[in-house]
Amino acid sequence: MKTSHFLFYLFLLAGLFSCNKDKPTPIETPKSYVEITVQPTYNSSNLFLDSVYVTTEGYKIKFTDLKFFGTTLKNGQNSLAQVGFFDFALSGNNFLKVEQDVNLFSDLQFFLGVDSLINHNDPSTFSDDSPLNISNAGTMHWGWNPGYIFISVEGKADTLQDGIENYDHNFSFHVGTDDYLQTKTFSAINWVKTASNTHTFALQLDLFDVICNAIDPIDLRNEFLAHSSSLQTALTLKFGKNFKSALTPY
Amino acid sequence: MKKWLFFSSLILLISCNKDKASYLPTPTSVSIPSHFPQMLIPSDNPMTEEGIELGRYLFYEKRLSADNTMSCATCHSPQNSFSDNNQFSVGIDGIQGNRQSMALINLGWDDFFFWDGRATSLEEQILEPIPNPIEMHQSWKAAAAKLNADMVYRNRFFKAFGSPIIDSTQVTKAIAQFIRTMVSGESKYDVMYKYENGLLLNAAEQQIFTTIEVDEWAGYDLFKSLNGADCFHCHNGPLMRVKKFSNNGLDATLTDLGRGAVTGNSNDNGKFKVPTLRNIALTAPYMHDGRFATLDEVIDFYSTGIHASPTIDPLIEYANQGGVQLDTQEKMLLKKFLLTLTDLNFVNNPKFQDPN
Repeated sequence: MKTSHFLFYLFLLAGLFSCNKDKPTPIETPKSYVEITVQPTYNSSNLFLDSVYVTTEGYKIKFTDLKFFGTTLKNGQNSLAQVGFFDFALSGNNFLKVEQDVNLFSDLQFFLGVDSLINHNDPSTFSDDSPLNISNAGTMHWGWNPGYIFISVEGKADTLQDGIENYDHNFSFHVGTDDYLQTKTFSAINWVKTASNTHTFALQLDLFDVICNAIDPIDLRNEFLAHSSSLQTALTLKFGKNFKSALTPY
Repeated sequence: MKKWLFFSSLILLISCNKDKASYLPTPTSVSIPSHFPQMLIPSDNPMTEEGIELGRYLFYEKRLSADNTMSCATCHSPQNSFSDNNQFSVGIDGIQGNRQSMALINLGWDDFFFWDGRATSLEEQILEPIPNPIEMHQSWKAAAAKLNADMVYRNRFFKAFGSPIIDSTQVTKAIAQFIRTMVSGESKYDVMYKYENGLLLNAAEQQIFTTIEVDEWAGYDLFKSLNGADCFHCHNGPLMRVKKFSNNGLDATLTDLGRGAVTGNSNDNGKFKVPTLRNIALTAPYMHDGRFATLDEVIDFYSTGIHASPTIDPLIEYANQGGVQLDTQEKMLLKKFLLTLTDLNFVNNPKFQDPN
């Protein structure tokens, strides 16, 4: 009797295990990523922070910080991501990397800045890994606006051509507030396969075109501060417009 | 019969095991104000009630210094909002440091520590002062031996970490847990911040809101104004600071390289961690070298005392004219606002006081 019980449980156990084995093994679909990078340049040469460049007026300039947000990235109804963030000093060329199907994004549109629908949200409520979370946004959130700085470019300029390196002018361009939100569009994007599961769209940001713009240049001797206040409308608009046009496929 | 004997022995063994001191730490979390971001807790040092309590004892433990005279609280005392009112703290051998003791406020949100940011976690920061010859001047081995000789500490460490071994790793973890609980978010400024961001005020905050003076609002406007005091570039948000290193124009010639000495990059020379302005009225003296004894001196400095240098922060926008040029009235208003950053609930919180 005892032997029969033992055998009964043994078979039951074996049966259970074999049932488990019969379950179909889920097939893992390989993840695919899309990535957007930005290479800052100055007159088409790669730009480095704190290195000396020369404007068309002959001013020596150094860039010390370079950041911007892109939000609501999409192609029609296909959403790519809520936010991309470029911080050259901290994250190099990275702007965005998300798990997505590259085939859905032959074109791309996004706000150069923070979508007004989320610009005034409590900055502590975004997820911990979001660049919009106040912990990560850091200098890019204005408590007083309230809202985000969309584009931040800071540096120093030596506007006295006396042969002495004396960076007499700090410059800082902070574009923010809903009035200065712009839309950037790229069509027929050439996504390049940069890894087995990653496609990359490389952008170039030429700061020569921002400062020494052929149509609307910025004279750093006189135009070195723009914080989107009502007194700085013209310079904020000019800087924002130049920045937008300087962001092109690499 | 044999079977019963076997099972009885097994039960006896299990019950004997139960009689041993048990390691059952109580997971807990940091109480975070509603307008603050979440605090990221390192996965290898989760918060427990036992860990925090142990950390509190260790924070005030003078046996961590070689001559048993100095604890963390000696240079980070509660009455100074966990900083030191001396320009430079003095170690057990009477040697002065060369930088002002930083206030311990909301450090759970920081990514780098010390004025030059040379530590990248709280645990790493806490490792330094004990063996430092100009501070507590005691090897970690000696410090651990002293704690190991104390049965009460052995029990506390076991309850916190489940191991009878006391070493620097566990000491720093416990103190880090305690420091992460030191959250300040109940100042008048917090109510102003929440109001301007359209966040709901609770009943107590609504009560505080009615006490905010016109001059304090005016001072806040100046604080944020590009053509006023222009402080907000480096001090804003619920934490009242941004995460960066900055040369704020203290000197034309740099004697302390600050961040530059850590990175070896001359572009970082003269840059220091931007500190929070919370409880600024309680944390004098000011700057990395404690050169300013009062808030008035600090305001005067930003008004007319700025010195340009190669690495000065571009956000010191009026450096070429020596500062933001505030008049007497504006200085008074700005100071009024700075006083709204005082959070006495934080300073007097019984959970942060000496448990002995």
